[in-house]
Amino acid sequence: MKLLEVKSVTKKFGPLVAVDSASMFIDDNEIVGLIGPNGSGKSTLLHTICGRTFATEGSIYLKGSDITTKTPQIRAKSGMAIKFQLARIYLEKTVRENLLISLQAKESIWRQLRSASLKAFEVKISELAKEFQLEEYLNEPAKSLSHGQQQWLEIAMAMAADPILLLLDEPTAGMSPKERADTASLIKKASEKCGVLIVEHDLDFIKELCNRISVLHHGNIVATGTPTQIENDPKVKEVYLTRV
Amino acid sequence: MAGNDYLTQIVTRILIYGILVLSVEMCWGQTGIFTFGQAALFGIGGYVVGLVTTKSTITDIGKLLLVAVIAGALVGLVLGIFLFSGKRVGELYVALVTLAISYICERLANSWTLLGSGNGIPGIPYPTIFGREIGSAMGLFFLTFAVFAIALILCIIIVNSQFGLTMNAVRDDEERAEFFGYSRSVVQIAIFVFSAALAASGGALFAVSEGFVSPSMSGLALSTTTVLWVVLGGRGTFYGPLIALTVLQVVNIQMQNALPSLWPILVGFMLLVTMIFLPKGLTSLPAKIRESRRKRVQI
Repeated sequence: MKLLEVKSVTKKFGPLVAVDSASMFIDDNEIVGLIGPNGSGKSTLLHTICGRTFATEGSIYLKGSDITTKTPQIRAKSGMAIKFQLARIYLEKTVRENLLISLQAKESIWRQLRSASLKAFEVKISELAKEFQLEEYLNEPAKSLSHGQQQWLEIAMAMAADPILLLLDEPTAGMSPKERADTASLIKKASEKCGVLIVEHDLDFIKELCNRISVLHHGNIVATGTPTQIENDPKVKEVYLTRV
Repeated sequence: MAGNDYLTQIVTRILIYGILVLSVEMCWGQTGIFTFGQAALFGIGGYVVGLVTTKSTITDIGKLLLVAVIAGALVGLVLGIFLFSGKRVGELYVALVTLAISYICERLANSWTLLGSGNGIPGIPYPTIFGREIGSAMGLFFLTFAVFAIALILCIIIVNSQFGLTMNAVRDDEERAEFFGYSRSVVQIAIFVFSAALAASGGALFAVSEGFVSPSMSGLALSTTTVLWVVLGGRGTFYGPLIALTVLQVVNIQMQNALPSLWPILVGFMLLVTMIFLPKGLTSLPAKIRESRRKRVQI
């Protein structure tokens, strides 16, 4: 059984077809990249997978369960976690509180009212902070972090939920080369625990990291293969690589 | 204070409105539910007590508060389900719907003979506790203070629990909260019901301490004034709006006599200035001063 299966998904906005019968899959612990020129439908496809928008046609399965029409909340409870293109963290809250927000999301209101899981989560918070190099900022507000650290915090928040599938929308946007290298190793480590789907512009970054890459053009997946296959695919060169 | 019933009554009224302020702060300040309908729920609490005490022999404050809280919570539940159970709605939508509800409640109270129409329900008897009448201003003050203290402690406990963080997560980015797996609608409905119960308990205390209820206690003016206290004091804290309420109530008494026509304009001007220069309310003033001093030192 595939971890994620996207079957002939089409997304229309009125007469505009943003994604046209796209199919792809991700296996457990696999890192899959989704690339394509601006306006190719990458973000729309990612949004239909995470539940921000619903597919007009087609189906999406997570571990065999049909999640096509499920809300983001149900998808999250099924094991899906996302890092958005622009880090959507709680800027006024401390790093610790941000991690706690993610950790306690599936707790009942009653347990939250009694702060019943606070002690248990402290251990997890320390582990995550160490893993994502945020240890010394735990009590700092998230707005005081650098751009790269904010991106890491959001990935840490996504990983806090122990997801089975991690969706990353341009995780290295605006990062320095050092931060990009660190992010790559963080994603590699994350893939030991879950499958990862990365939407990226940076081909150099994605080809070193991914097991497979899908190329989207005008809403269609025009090629899927290993990074080497993609680099040598004449169709990909024509529609995408020459435009990068 | 015992010798000064008038002052005691003013303090009692401030505490009653304080409960209303807590209900708005829980909704808007902590959870991002921009409500203009708390006076409607305050009025429901008051009218329920008015009806129960005048149509039956029940005067026990425990029973009266319980009935008011249940009535407020039920109305809050129905409204909460209507407002929050579907797709996400914007702050403005919630504000407009709750504003309309306040207007409807005031009109209803004005026109329904069962509720006394424009005269309201006068002659509400003093409440009793363990069979003893609470008939003095001081007795009513202690009763109100006890309920206010319980309400404040409850609010502080909730806000400082893990659930408080959840409320803030929904307030600051409700869509993001859903992507973490939070049931946004359950959180919003739960808080709306809790604050409806708070507002209704305030209304019940108003009814027994003033001895009457009238349409204005559930209307637009009180709803707007409560939001004004929270804006002036600073949403996101309990003490700021409570200080704003106290100061404005005290100054209000003086100014209504000294400058009866100019005072409402001055209040409006204060609100405008606060919203432009201190969007986080007067409680953010010290931090703002510190920040500007720090910048000056850096220059």
